[in-house]
Amino acid sequence: MKEMKIAKNDLVSFLDTLITEYEVFAPVKKDSSVVFQEIYSGSEALLDYSNSQKPPKEMFFPQKERLFSYDLSPKKAGIEEPLLAEKQRIIFGIRPCDARSFVLLDRVFSGGVYKDIYYIDKRKKTLVIALGCNRPKSTCFCTSLGGGPFSQEGSDLLLIDIGQEYVVQVITDKGEELIKKHKEFMEADEQSLFSMRKVVDTAEASIKFRVDVWKVKEKLDGMFDDPFWDLVSEKCLGCSACTYLCPTCHCFDVVDEVIGQRGERIRIWDSCAFPNFTLQTSGFNPRPTIKERVRQRIMHKFKYFVDNYGVAACVGCGRCIRECPVNLDIRAVLNSILER
Amino acid sequence: MNGDDLMPDISTMIRDTARKLLEEKKVDLVIGFEKGTLPLRSTPCFIRNSKEAEKLVWNASCENNLARYLRKRQEKIGIVAKGCDVRSIVELIKEKQLTREQVFIIGIPCNGMVDRKKIDLKLNGREILEAEEKDATLILKGYNFTETLDKEEFLHDSCRTCKYRNPVIYDVLIGNKVAENEGTDEYEEIRQFEAKSADERWQFFTEEFSQCIRCYACRNACPLCYCQECFVDNSQPQWIGKTTNLSDTLIFHVVRALHAAGRCVDCGACDRACPMGIDIRKLTRKVQMDVKQLFHYEAGISVDDIPPLATFNLDDPQEFIK
Amino acid sequence: MKNPYLPFAMRIDKIVIETEDYNIKTFRLSFLNKEDEESFNYLPGQFAQLSILGVGEAPFGIASSPTQIGGLEFTVNKAGVVTTALHNLEEGGIIWVRGPLGNCFPLEELEGKNIVIIGGGFAFTTLRSLTNYILNEKHRGQFGKVIVIYGVRRPGLFLYKNELKEWERRPDCELYLTVDKADEVWQGKVGVVPNIIKEVNPSPENSYAVVCGPPVMIKFTLPVLRALGFLPERIILSLEMRMKCGIGICGRCNIGNRYVCKDGPIFTLAQLSELPDELLIWR
Repeated sequence: MKEMKIAKNDLVSFLDTLITEYEVFAPVKKDSSVVFQEIYSGSEALLDYSNSQKPPKEMFFPQKERLFSYDLSPKKAGIEEPLLAEKQRIIFGIRPCDARSFVLLDRVFSGGVYKDIYYIDKRKKTLVIALGCNRPKSTCFCTSLGGGPFSQEGSDLLLIDIGQEYVVQVITDKGEELIKKHKEFMEADEQSLFSMRKVVDTAEASIKFRVDVWKVKEKLDGMFDDPFWDLVSEKCLGCSACTYLCPTCHCFDVVDEVIGQRGERIRIWDSCAFPNFTLQTSGFNPRPTIKERVRQRIMHKFKYFVDNYGVAACVGCGRCIRECPVNLDIRAVLNSILER
Repeated sequence: MNGDDLMPDISTMIRDTARKLLEEKKVDLVIGFEKGTLPLRSTPCFIRNSKEAEKLVWNASCENNLARYLRKRQEKIGIVAKGCDVRSIVELIKEKQLTREQVFIIGIPCNGMVDRKKIDLKLNGREILEAEEKDATLILKGYNFTETLDKEEFLHDSCRTCKYRNPVIYDVLIGNKVAENEGTDEYEEIRQFEAKSADERWQFFTEEFSQCIRCYACRNACPLCYCQECFVDNSQPQWIGKTTNLSDTLIFHVVRALHAAGRCVDCGACDRACPMGIDIRKLTRKVQMDVKQLFHYEAGISVDDIPPLATFNLDDPQEFIK
Repeated sequence: MKNPYLPFAMRIDKIVIETEDYNIKTFRLSFLNKEDEESFNYLPGQFAQLSILGVGEAPFGIASSPTQIGGLEFTVNKAGVVTTALHNLEEGGIIWVRGPLGNCFPLEELEGKNIVIIGGGFAFTTLRSLTNYILNEKHRGQFGKVIVIYGVRRPGLFLYKNELKEWERRPDCELYLTVDKADEVWQGKVGVVPNIIKEVNPSPENSYAVVCGPPVMIKFTLPVLRALGFLPERIILSLEMRMKCGIGICGRCNIGNRYVCKDGPIFTLAQLSELPDELLIWR
């Protein structure tokens, strides 16, 4: 399908129509930050923002998810399988880096022999409409990781702001079907496409930080025992802010919680930064200090994931850079690795 | 050459001090701040070589409490410490996590650190690309804007109520002492909050702490949260659940505040570290206020003080005994 | 699509207390559901996640051999929350099981070879499965010499004491038991496993070594095997890491780019040499 376009003035009514049929999630302002929430009216969606505080991976991999519930009373003892979502969902207005993170998470949750049905079900029932970044932040470095401010990876539709209108790139069949059902969309004309190309070029050129992640991976291949890790981890607090806010971090814990006779097996986000992450019942911990844990995080994202899937587990969104309480900047770490 | 140039600035004095300490081998390590990778940020740095002393800086973004990095070290350490950081060091010495001889305190009288979250709110999400501290102002530049802000207005809340801007102990003091904040009732906000109804207060806490993602940045940033195994990680017995269930989250924060009773110096590190912007200090300062009222005690003033929860007096209040 | 997180129920038919300190019990479980039984096809080396609803889940090597028809056996050391709860169960109780998980010992590669099975402490569970599998009359002819070296801290801590006696009686199996510290009754060898291996001096000719034990034992056993001439491709290890999902998704049990639950727990020393030595045992 050719590129389409939609007038900015029509966007709210488009969203309102979607809301009648789908659960629509969009960025919404909350104090000084932005969160992804279900919206009940098109006007709630925030379109002029850089990125959300928490990554939208929560849409497919919520922080707390029930795997199954059970009854502990002798007569009813047994497992109750979870009910999967019924309504189709639309995530609207996420950034291309976050959309790309879904593709990376797909490798983990559905790319192997074992299929995570909770994640897969949500992915199947969700349509992704991304909003390209006309003005990437100074902390963005998506282009170094194989993405970009207008990357199509992971989205069904991509909106590009060209002033009074959005050009709409139709990426998947699912996206095309949606477009066909809504009258607000029309074919983009040459003028719009010209504006679009200008916007795209300007945005991509504005991303100043570049790093060759393949070279980083090659360096990391031989760096496991390097004293580098003592230096780089010295100021790390071992809090897990970076992992929880990272769109591609996927580690989780599984716990049982019981109230009275009813219980649930729940999975919750966990972090390799925590001291007990690899602690064995014998008391032995292969990662006893912050150094081993920082090493694990960097190695996993920029070497192990590349070994297994051919791509780094990072989308260059910059959340970890902005939120780290001690300004441990991943860009500085990657540059230091290249200098070893 | 005007009068300003005759007085070397604080950054230069810190560098000179650190360089000398390392050259003369009076310390093995200096912990201070270096320039961060973002505007209005500094980052902790660890210097073991006198040539690296050049990196050290001092400005209104040196917000982290470096006392967090002092424990479990064999070396003699020089540490750049502002008023609140020094008080944390005093507490660590009292709790025998550190000896006075082990640490060479480079004390910095402090006029306060800026709160980036307040600034972001003021700028309505516009990104700062360049920042300059000029006397009492902050000049912030971004895409199509320049804003000049009054630094005082954007100080961190913990700095605005701080009564110990000058280090209470030190081995060398950098620069001149600054005026203390004598007149302020530092607990006014807490008293006003306490006056609200239980329902109002409960609503505040449930709304605020439902944001918590249990990342434990607050705990990890605190110099005095150093338990080998934090109570949230105990499994035998398990004290609280690990999920973001609101009652588990509230218990975590309340218990952490109580564990810090008589020890917390209100440096604000927990509050600043929180990625969700939760007002953690509402809890910690209530506990601090109660300790002051009940035991006439403030943490971090003198290494000779006995922590209030480690001792008793015959005239301790006992209204709770009916 | 099968949900890999859902366990199925099994009934405890028999509980055997293995050790004199009562800390290790073997549970014989039977399937409640014919479909579960038919789809549970496993080979020695694999593990399963056992759970107690309301308490939690933990991974355990399958101690029974697939040649034992009807049910599964697991040997559990009481150490933490889940294992204590398992120990509190009685015969007739229910345990929930997810499995079989992980990879198995490379049986095809082992065919026609002499096999030296080396175990320490209570890590002997999957080695017992392997030994019983090999010694079973259906398979014995497919393998060469079988040498079993098994060491524990003191005589009362041996697992599967009855089976050990049977293996000792067999002419087609050489069994060497050793303890760190003998008691008044013990007549057998005294010494740590690596030393006993030196004593037994197994030939590396056409041989594989299969090793399972606590990290410190493995750390001292590997150099002995290398010195005897065993090639890294022919030294097989079964590793343990803290696990949660058991299916390679939760990201916890990795050593380098391999997940112990999914790519292991069975690895050759050659494979491990390519990985960072996080456990500090193979460099």
